[in-house]
Amino acid sequence: MHEYLLSLLIFLPLIGALIVLVLPAGTFYGRSIALLIALLQGLVFIFILAAYDTSLTGLQLAERARWISLAMGTWGEVRADYFVALDGLSLPLVGLSVFIFIIATISSWKVEKSRKGYFALLLVLNAAVMGTFCAQDFLLFYLFFEFMLLPMFFLIGIWGGARREYASIKFFLYTLLGSILILIVMIALLLSTKSSNDTGTVVHSFSITDMTNSANILSQSVLDPQRGLELFGISVRVWAFIFLFIGFGIKLPMVPLHTWLPDAHVEAPTAISVLLAALLLKIGGYGLLRITYPLFPDAAMQLSWLVALFGVISIIYGALAAMASKDLKRLIAYSSVSHMGFVLLGVASVTTEGAAGAVYQMVSHGVISAMLFLLVGVLYDRTHDRMIENYSGLSSKMPVYFSYTLLAFFASLGLPGFSGFMAEVMVFLGAFKSNGVNGLIHESFAIVATLGLVLGAAYYLWTLQRMFFGKYHFKSSTENTSLVDLDQREILMLLPLALITIAFGIFPQLLLNFINPFADSFTETVLQTGKAIQAIIRP
Amino acid sequence: MSSQALFSSLVLIALLPLLSALVATVIPASHRWITPLASSLLLALASILSLLLSISQWNEPTLVWEKTWFTLGESTVTAGILLNNTTLVLLSVVTFISFMVHLFSIGYMAGDKGEQRYYSILGFFTFAMLGLVLADNLLLLFVFWELVGFSSYMLIGHWREKDAATAAAKKAFIINRIADLGFIIALLIIWGHTGSFSLTSFNFEEQEAWRTGAALCLLLAVMGKSAQLPFFNWLSSAMEGPTPVSALIHAATMVVAGVFLLIRVFPLFTPLALDVVVIIGSSTAVLGALAALHQFDFKKILAYSTISQLGLLVAAVGTGAYGVALLHLLTHAFFKAGLFLGAGAVIHSLHQAQHSSHVHFDVQDIRNLGGLRKEMPITFFCFSICAAALAGLPLFSGFQSKDAILVSVFSWSGDQVWRQAFAWTIVITSVLTIFYTVRMLWFVFFEEAKKTALLTIQEVPTIMRIPLVLLSLGSLWWMVAFHPLDFSGWLLDSIQPNQEHNLFITWLSLISIPTLTVLAFLWFKYRKKPTTLGFLQEGYYLDYLNSLLVTKPILAMSTVSERIDKKGLDGIIHGFAYLTVGLAHLLAWVDKNIVDGLVDASGRLAKGFGSIARSFSGGQIQSYIFWSVFALVISLFWFLFY
Repeated sequence: MHEYLLSLLIFLPLIGALIVLVLPAGTFYGRSIALLIALLQGLVFIFILAAYDTSLTGLQLAERARWISLAMGTWGEVRADYFVALDGLSLPLVGLSVFIFIIATISSWKVEKSRKGYFALLLVLNAAVMGTFCAQDFLLFYLFFEFMLLPMFFLIGIWGGARREYASIKFFLYTLLGSILILIVMIALLLSTKSSNDTGTVVHSFSITDMTNSANILSQSVLDPQRGLELFGISVRVWAFIFLFIGFGIKLPMVPLHTWLPDAHVEAPTAISVLLAALLLKIGGYGLLRITYPLFPDAAMQLSWLVALFGVISIIYGALAAMASKDLKRLIAYSSVSHMGFVLLGVASVTTEGAAGAVYQMVSHGVISAMLFLLVGVLYDRTHDRMIENYSGLSSKMPVYFSYTLLAFFASLGLPGFSGFMAEVMVFLGAFKSNGVNGLIHESFAIVATLGLVLGAAYYLWTLQRMFFGKYHFKSSTENTSLVDLDQREILMLLPLALITIAFGIFPQLLLNFINPFADSFTETVLQTGKAIQAIIRP
Repeated sequence: MSSQALFSSLVLIALLPLLSALVATVIPASHRWITPLASSLLLALASILSLLLSISQWNEPTLVWEKTWFTLGESTVTAGILLNNTTLVLLSVVTFISFMVHLFSIGYMAGDKGEQRYYSILGFFTFAMLGLVLADNLLLLFVFWELVGFSSYMLIGHWREKDAATAAAKKAFIINRIADLGFIIALLIIWGHTGSFSLTSFNFEEQEAWRTGAALCLLLAVMGKSAQLPFFNWLSSAMEGPTPVSALIHAATMVVAGVFLLIRVFPLFTPLALDVVVIIGSSTAVLGALAALHQFDFKKILAYSTISQLGLLVAAVGTGAYGVALLHLLTHAFFKAGLFLGAGAVIHSLHQAQHSSHVHFDVQDIRNLGGLRKEMPITFFCFSICAAALAGLPLFSGFQSKDAILVSVFSWSGDQVWRQAFAWTIVITSVLTIFYTVRMLWFVFFEEAKKTALLTIQEVPTIMRIPLVLLSLGSLWWMVAFHPLDFSGWLLDSIQPNQEHNLFITWLSLISIPTLTVLAFLWFKYRKKPTTLGFLQEGYYLDYLNSLLVTKPILAMSTVSERIDKKGLDGIIHGFAYLTVGLAHLLAWVDKNIVDGLVDASGRLAKGFGSIARSFSGGQIQSYIFWSVFALVISLFWFLFY
């Protein structure tokens, strides 16, 4: 059974989507099937955890099947495999995805508008996300990566708010631009690398593992460091790094490529916002750690300071923009920008602490942002109003809601005891240490980034003060009967999230068991390969 | 006691307040009367256990229990408990004062809407504070350091409908957060250069600059938590919280966490860093005392007094006499908690009296009070004892601990002029302390009753009197040593023995402090009108400076960044979009008018040619003949000439 666990995880939702599509429209079966599939995935994930060995480094539970194989005569053979596997980077994110999809399905329970289409798209999205995190073949990864766009576009564009079309098109175009850049690099890589275990003919494989190995670079190819091809005075390898960085940076999102995010969030329905923030943004960080850095370590060593700089800018700028937001959902969207900046900073440090912190931050932000967007959704469901200034003194009216908000806000602003603090501390430690260990980024990056903590505290506490404290009042009307406290379904979604962020805040080893081997090997590979390639370029 | 049993009992002591917090959360509202009793009982248990443990473990060698918390690559971060005499002192002080405050709160908070929430956060605070005291490494300490800050935020803003209270809560948290950046950076430096978070050994391998940097960054965090210059304005605003909270958090325990941290990481501090510590501490001491002299709010006098006393503590650590700092921390915890609870008793009974007589005025403004010594004799008596300790009168604990501070400051200063200047600052602070203490006592208890004359005031209930009496008993000399004039007692001899004595200073204090006290009484009795300086009353306009230099620029920057987002970045995106769409329209036009035009034109051309060709086969015999002849002629020409 082990051999098929990952395929099961990926294809279960596709089967579910088919079933939902076959069912007659207008029934409630769609949501039950979606939930059932999500729960089954949870079960599969438990099996995965049982089968996964944390003491090993590298890919596990691998499945590999011949997918595309084109003989191109003397030039060689192009091969793409159905190659899925997990390591310390993929596994936490797959776990997060499984969990968040359960929550998002429950959160979608009351969707009224064309249910069938909604849940079918949700399941398709589910499969695409799982596939993206599992794929170890670049073409397969790219396929899943692109495939996420389609359901997301419709989910925002059809079930969204007033400016949904604008937001969905903006989201689509931004992401597509990133995808094109990634595609260009993918093709260049295909042309320039061969598979490790080819016999006789050269096999141009899409396998990321093969591409990571610098021995597989074909001599005199586009990306051959010895050939040293340049474009506008900059090495082609550096260009490739920059393209990938921008491509994944859009997804992350990183300032200044982030403006699709607030709009997409504000217009998306609650469950989709949750998925967007908790999972889709993580693909940016995942791409950096899986593809950008390992494939171009030499360029990474040159440009890490730039990655870190964009990280710090995102942290500070995102926090400042959050502070100016009048719409609660927009505020939280900007806080995502700020928090994903820590991922950039952690990756850029290329230290064990930094890489582990980046992965930790992705998981932690996944959980916390899911909670935050659900909480905004709760309020919006009741009043259809997200403007901060229209509320005051909510804590007396909705005490349970207030407690969860308090918890989520403090978790997000990095109070110790919650997962976000652990992640941020690790990132800071890595970023600060980097200069002494590998000389990639200066200590001052970490020091400036700490300012983000103060700004985070400022906008969250200010929001608490404006919306929850003081005398109760909503808009100009004195009484609004629709403002009832959380119901059981909402608590069912929020409580597990709250418990998980606390558990990861107090017992970081739960997650570090998986992450540590990855962080170690990532750091080692990038630094060693990077130095080796740089030695070729400048002997 | 075996090591395992000791560890378990320490964990138990720390968890009892957490249990109290849980109990307060889960008890249903219908049985809310249980909450204060259960919480107080649990705290009493914790307090008794700590005292017993402290007595049995006193002067035993330092013990450390640690377990792996998490691993990062090759390095391991541990979590555990570090037990030595300093820990024991703080453990007892925190649990005891917390117990006293719980008892007092039974009366003070009775009938409050958020009573259960109050006890649950009070319990959580005590837990976090105990965690801070017990933590065996810097990261763990920082975790609890932030958690006490969180509890402080929740308790200052306990009355959620009161805008001033929630604003003060936010201010306290954010100012502390700014200072805590220092803590985080210190953590980074220490981890980056020593590879551990150890509290006891700092192996910097000759990198003195980084070492000093780490020390100064930690000092920044201390300046936030312990309300030192220029961060102290949060503490005076924090007085918006319930008074028992001020006694526990903002006088006796949380604010001294900074001093505790300094004592814990004392080996980290280089001589240069220590000099900075003294400068910060002594400046804060004198500025706090000056401001206290100009307050009219009962609680704010105490708040500024706390700031000033915290300055003394910090300065004492800076001179190297960390044992002396711990001694004053202990005595200050008792007398200041007693003063705050005394003030709470006054406020409480005046509020009660206002309720029954329907006369309303600000009961915290000392100008409205007076003559309370007759109506509230027990409160007055206890308050006076604590005030005497604060002023440093002989036979009270404050005399000994302040004497110790003065001695250590002068032994630090030696012959250096600039150091002597700071040493004299401490002396001035002590004199000012006497004056503001007497001023407070005079206004509240001695002067003839003003607006209070309209009320029928009763002494507070017994449950609130017990803590007052116990705390005032703890403010007597025997807390320090059996000899009322000697500061070397059980505490100092164990923490930092062989402290230098200076009989000249001791004797001078013995004579001058009572004299100055009498003079102060006479001054306040015969002065004409209370005068005050706005500059000092407003706490050096730090709030104003805060908003001018920090809040406003940040808000402006946030507006700018939002505008960049909306106008700038989105503007570019929209520009691109419009450009693309425009281009698309242009292409569409080109397609329609030029490309299609060309196609149409070629069509028409073909049609024209077609019609010409068609005309050849028009079916008219004349034209056939004409064209045939024409062709014949041309071919004839061809053949003839070529």
